[in-house]
Amino acid sequence: MTRDELQKNIVTILVDEFEFENPGLTDNLRDDHGFDSIDAIELLAKIEEMLGFQISRKEKEKAMSIRTINDILDYIETIQAAHKG
Amino acid sequence: MKRRVVITACSAITPIGYGKNDIIESLRQGRSGVKPLRDDGLLTERIHSKVFGTVDYDIDYGFARKDTKTMGPVAYYACQVAKDVLADSGLDQDFITSGRLGVSFSSTHGSPTVQRNIYKTFFSKDKAEFSSIGAVDYLKSMVHTTAVNITRMFGITGRVVASSTACTTSSQSIGFGYEMVKFGMQDAMICGGADEYDTTTVAVFDNLLACSVDYNDTPQCTPRPFDVNRDGLVVGEGGAAVLLEEYEHAKARGATILGEVIGFSCNNNGGDLILPNLDGITTTLRLALDDAEIKAEDVDFISAHATATKMGDVIESQAIDAVYGNGPWVAGLKSYMGHTMGTCGAIELILSLYMMEQGFLAPTLNLETVDERCAMLRHVREVTETETRIAAIQNFAFGGVNTCLLIADGRP
Repeated sequence: MTRDELQKNIVTILVDEFEFENPGLTDNLRDDHGFDSIDAIELLAKIEEMLGFQISRKEKEKAMSIRTINDILDYIETIQAAHKG
Repeated sequence: MKRRVVITACSAITPIGYGKNDIIESLRQGRSGVKPLRDDGLLTERIHSKVFGTVDYDIDYGFARKDTKTMGPVAYYACQVAKDVLADSGLDQDFITSGRLGVSFSSTHGSPTVQRNIYKTFFSKDKAEFSSIGAVDYLKSMVHTTAVNITRMFGITGRVVASSTACTTSSQSIGFGYEMVKFGMQDAMICGGADEYDTTTVAVFDNLLACSVDYNDTPQCTPRPFDVNRDGLVVGEGGAAVLLEEYEHAKARGATILGEVIGFSCNNNGGDLILPNLDGITTTLRLALDDAEIKAEDVDFISAHATATKMGDVIESQAIDAVYGNGPWVAGLKSYMGHTMGTCGAIELILSLYMMEQGFLAPTLNLETVDERCAMLRHVREVTETETRIAAIQNFAFGGVNTCLLIADGRP
């Protein structure tokens, strides 16, 4: 999945499932959209579903430092690359 | 330190209506909220009892996703009635978040709907379904889910009490909240209980031969507390909350005082976990009078637990007779909506408050021929216009837990 495709999918999920309004790529997820640790866990499940493989516990723990949509996209690209490798 | 504890707001979602006007109308018109049991695709076909005290109207919750993500159906009821009491109370936001307002609220067992979805995965061989257990499922289904969803939604930082004791859940919530305020640990408490639509509870009572089965085709004719033809309880759903507040605090801010909690008792039978116990219940009723420092003859009305089981009503009648004789009026308000489980004490207290304010007492519905073993009481048999200054709300639970709350009307 290209970064553009990823971005489109993630923004759709954030708008449809997490009720984000006008999300920007560099918005602070918590401060601007009320996204909390519970949401992060839920989003990881959605990402697993989207990618079609399970994300390991260690990889999931790394997701806790995510702050922006750009961070989410970087994170997915990293685990996609690791999974291919 | 002993302080007076007044009721400055209340709200109830019940099978006979939501809000004061609806509920009073149902009580005055003798309108039942018992309906046919809905098909849940799991247990309904196998349960003998086909009736349920049902909330079958739409509620405009208007909650934001940031709040609903941790809420099962039971928390919707809880947060809605909590929202109502906070709005009606006029408490300012600084006080709500000050740590001097606490929450005493619970349900029989969290959200059974969410629990059922979790259990489903136990029987699935599909790995994907196992991982479908959501991160928030525990938050939705834990026993204190109602209390902490209320604190989260309104930013309440005071104490949290979540007594989950089956049918005495919300009477304990109110009683423990009363004690928090009375003894100065908090200045106000949101207290109550909620339980959602759930056939597993019906199945449990059905298997214990305690559910009504003879009126499946005429749901409005059951339950029948104290009636010779009663055949058991009817499970129901709902949510109810009261705001308890220290009297001087309420007076200083000019709050409307709806009533006052003047006494509370709670004890245990110390033995059998199911059978009603005359000694235990009688002691509870006396302890409440002692706590309120009033005499039996001061009580005008008793809201009996009166589930319409064969023995429960008889034992409760004997206890009332032993403590009160036939002085106070007695009604079984579950006759209107069935047994709303963890909510029943709070709902029955609010219904009693409404009737005290309006100057009438609603009769026990479906009480056509009084069982002679219950006949020594002064039953309310028709809508009775009368002044009630003090009322007792009695509730008893599996586990041998008994409670009695004594409330006075809102007059100074």
